[in-house]
Amino acid sequence: MQGSVSGRHASAQRGSSVEFAEYRRYVQGDDLRRIDWRAFGRTDRYYVKEFEADTNLRCCMVLDTSGSMEFGSKGISKIEYAKQLAGALAYLAVQQGDAVGISCVADEKVAELPPRRNPAHLSAIFDVLEQAEPQGETRLVPILHELAESVAQRALIVIFSDFFLPTEELRDCFEHLRFRKHDITVFQLLDPMELAFEFQRPMRFLDMEGGPSVFADPTEITDRYHEALATFLSDFKKMMLESGTDYHRVTTDVSYEKVFMDFLACRHDSQRVR
Amino acid sequence: MSFLEPMLLAAIPLIGLPVLIHLVNQRRYQTMPWAAMIFLLAAHRLSRGFARLRQWLILAVRTLAIAGLVFALARPLASGWLGLAAGSKTDTTIILLDRSPSMSTASAGGIGTKLETGRRHLAEAFAKLGSDHWVLVDSATAEATEIQSPEDLLSVAEADPVGASANLPAMLRTAYEYMQSNQTGRTDIWICSDMRSHDWDAEGGQWPALRQSFLDLPQAVRFYLLAFAEEPQENMSIRMTDIRRRQTDQGASLVVSLEVTRSQKMAESATIPLEFDIDGARSVLHVEIAGRTHELKDHEISLGANQIQGWGRVSIPADSNNFDNEFFFVFDEPKIRRTLLVTEEPSASRALHLAAEIAADAEVETSVEVSSPEQLSTIAWEEIGLVLWQAPLPSGKDAALLESYVESDGRLVFLPPRSPGLNSIFDFSWGDWLKTSEDVTVGNWRGDADLLAHTLSGSALPVGELQVPRICGARGEMTPLATLSSGEVLLGRLPTARGGVYVLATTALESDSSLATDGVVLYVMVQRALAEGCRRLGQVQQQVAGAIGGDSSGWERLMGAELALSNQYAYHSGVFRTGERLLALNRSGAEDAVRVLSEEQIDRVFEGLDWVRLDGQADESSSLVNEIWRLFLLGMLIALLVEAALCLPKIRPAVKAVA
Repeated sequence: MQGSVSGRHASAQRGSSVEFAEYRRYVQGDDLRRIDWRAFGRTDRYYVKEFEADTNLRCCMVLDTSGSMEFGSKGISKIEYAKQLAGALAYLAVQQGDAVGISCVADEKVAELPPRRNPAHLSAIFDVLEQAEPQGETRLVPILHELAESVAQRALIVIFSDFFLPTEELRDCFEHLRFRKHDITVFQLLDPMELAFEFQRPMRFLDMEGGPSVFADPTEITDRYHEALATFLSDFKKMMLESGTDYHRVTTDVSYEKVFMDFLACRHDSQRVR
Repeated sequence: MSFLEPMLLAAIPLIGLPVLIHLVNQRRYQTMPWAAMIFLLAAHRLSRGFARLRQWLILAVRTLAIAGLVFALARPLASGWLGLAAGSKTDTTIILLDRSPSMSTASAGGIGTKLETGRRHLAEAFAKLGSDHWVLVDSATAEATEIQSPEDLLSVAEADPVGASANLPAMLRTAYEYMQSNQTGRTDIWICSDMRSHDWDAEGGQWPALRQSFLDLPQAVRFYLLAFAEEPQENMSIRMTDIRRRQTDQGASLVVSLEVTRSQKMAESATIPLEFDIDGARSVLHVEIAGRTHELKDHEISLGANQIQGWGRVSIPADSNNFDNEFFFVFDEPKIRRTLLVTEEPSASRALHLAAEIAADAEVETSVEVSSPEQLSTIAWEEIGLVLWQAPLPSGKDAALLESYVESDGRLVFLPPRSPGLNSIFDFSWGDWLKTSEDVTVGNWRGDADLLAHTLSGSALPVGELQVPRICGARGEMTPLATLSSGEVLLGRLPTARGGVYVLATTALESDSSLATDGVVLYVMVQRALAEGCRRLGQVQQQVAGAIGGDSSGWERLMGAELALSNQYAYHSGVFRTGERLLALNRSGAEDAVRVLSEEQIDRVFEGLDWVRLDGQADESSSLVNEIWRLFLLGMLIALLVEAALCLPKIRPAVKAVA
């Protein structure tokens, strides 16, 4: 992590700390005090000892509040699930002294709170989450671009969305965020019914984002639907890997605690590797 | 197409039920808010074409299934030709049934004849088609008989085969008169015939008037021609051309001449037995036939010395038509052939006198009585075979005498007098004498029948060599037998119910024609007319079946006509006794000639009329009218199966784990 003050998170920068990181060959200009004389004694070469620099976290959460997030077949909608995840993450961050902000995105930026470490800020975030109602179509792509430019310092960008958008458009904005050195985490929220598409009778499907309705016979369309969905998910996952994004595909029938724990464990592991 | 239950066709709007249900269902479909529209739209775009086609197909087959059910319940009728009946019931169905001997031709299998097949087909068809009234016009009597039901066609005697030929124009005239007198509603006229030319007389002058009569009728008339025009496979017929009793010093004998004719398909030579049955005494003569016809001339059969009068039959083995395998005859002492020559100038009629007086056979005795028109009342008409009338046409009492004579089957030839006069008889009168140009000859004449027919050997009479410098105009409706190249009728036959009345429009005088100088034609004409006229003389008569009309209840059957009703003997072949007279009735010579109407002639006969031709075959087992509801049920079943196949969900591969 990168923060302006010291905190509990491993910084992406090397620095002085108690947590050893690696040995590096001495180069001219290095502080002589950092030369490891023990290593010189063993190898007769100059090495500089580097440590993990602990720092605080700036976390910017992006919550998709477009109409499609209202869908939910197992008693909980995608937006509710996302709120739970976001709330838990905000609480944890604030408890650790990290700065947390949130942006709610539909056809425009519905609500926005800049990252703060103040514990009182947590209730403001909860208020935003509580008031977030899914409506309209999503304009996630331009707003992510905008976010990439507006967040000056490197930050953890956590996005909660179903990402039912063309992958090419998404690829551009993720590359933009990555270019700005942001650490990106994506929670792609999917309903089990969206994955299974198990209907028996012909139905009229109403677009939850206000688009045209479609009358379809599932016996004719299911195979092609699965095909299109599988292609999209595959492309999306590939794009996430290529852009170095921490990607979590979440179905809403899985407990959000488990998802959150998995996320934390995954972050912890990745920090250790680093 | 016609239906036995046309009322059920009112359910046809039910065909639209699937479409209606489809439209209602479209409005009743469950709606589902859906988030992942991006994939749904992509999938829908790809499958839209086939899905829509499938929907239309399902709708179509459902519609077809209901249509099949409705039509099946309405019990449709059909056959290859059946565009008939148009669903509405016929008020009157008139059946013109050809019962002539040629209709008794059997199929190659020999199971059913044309007549039997036709009756069966008609009975079956009518039982299905239905009608309020059924009328049978049989070819023998040409009279209309109402029958109770179509099944009667199989049992009534009026539908059984007879020896008499058919006269289709007369039968149609009867049908027309029945329709007029009974004011029938929509009428179907079914004609069951083997299309023999002589039955139809397609070139006759009565057809245009007959056609127009039907066209002028206010009610709808439709003709159905059930034609059995196929030629017999293998058939032989026998006909006696001459029979006379000869008395010699050695005893009495019967001299017969006969002709055996085979169908065209029998080319190889064969020996056939001719069986003679004379008053119960049978004898067999084997003759070898090489070509199509075989003539036996003057075959002599001995008779008992005291056997003056008698009857008999000559027959050949059974074949495809048993009605032409026997010929009945009667014999008696030869009678004097008497001719009455009525003339104002006996000298001017000398050639006629000679032509009538000189017998063709030395054993035949002839006599000519010359009379003036004023002496008619003194004539013994019952002994006269032929009247040659070369005088002004009679009127009043004389005309009545002539008409009575003709009515008794006598033969009469009118020749023009010097002063034709204005009288008329038989709707005929003389016009003026005309001079013809030198190059005028006889342009055409009928060589197939009547007075100018070809000889037995097939050679034509030298009619074309005749010179006719003067001719007298003939006014009245007549059948031309010889016509000059300039168009005037030289010889014609007036229409009469019985007997024969001829008009020769010139005389035998050298100034008028070469009839006397080229005497062959005149002689043959006179002798043929005399021979025909003399058939009515004496106690025995050879007649064509049906030629003697009327009730034959008093007749006694001596031979043949085993199954005939006594009041219909006149139409059957056989030997009968009526009073003191013996009568041998046989089919007409035309029955043995296998000549059927051409397609063009049939088209001409029915020109302008609403008609359908149905071709039948003897021994045909299939019905004319078939119920085809099974076909519609099958169609419905197929439609349902197709519908089920179209509605089957597609077999999907195992769902991929996309999550």
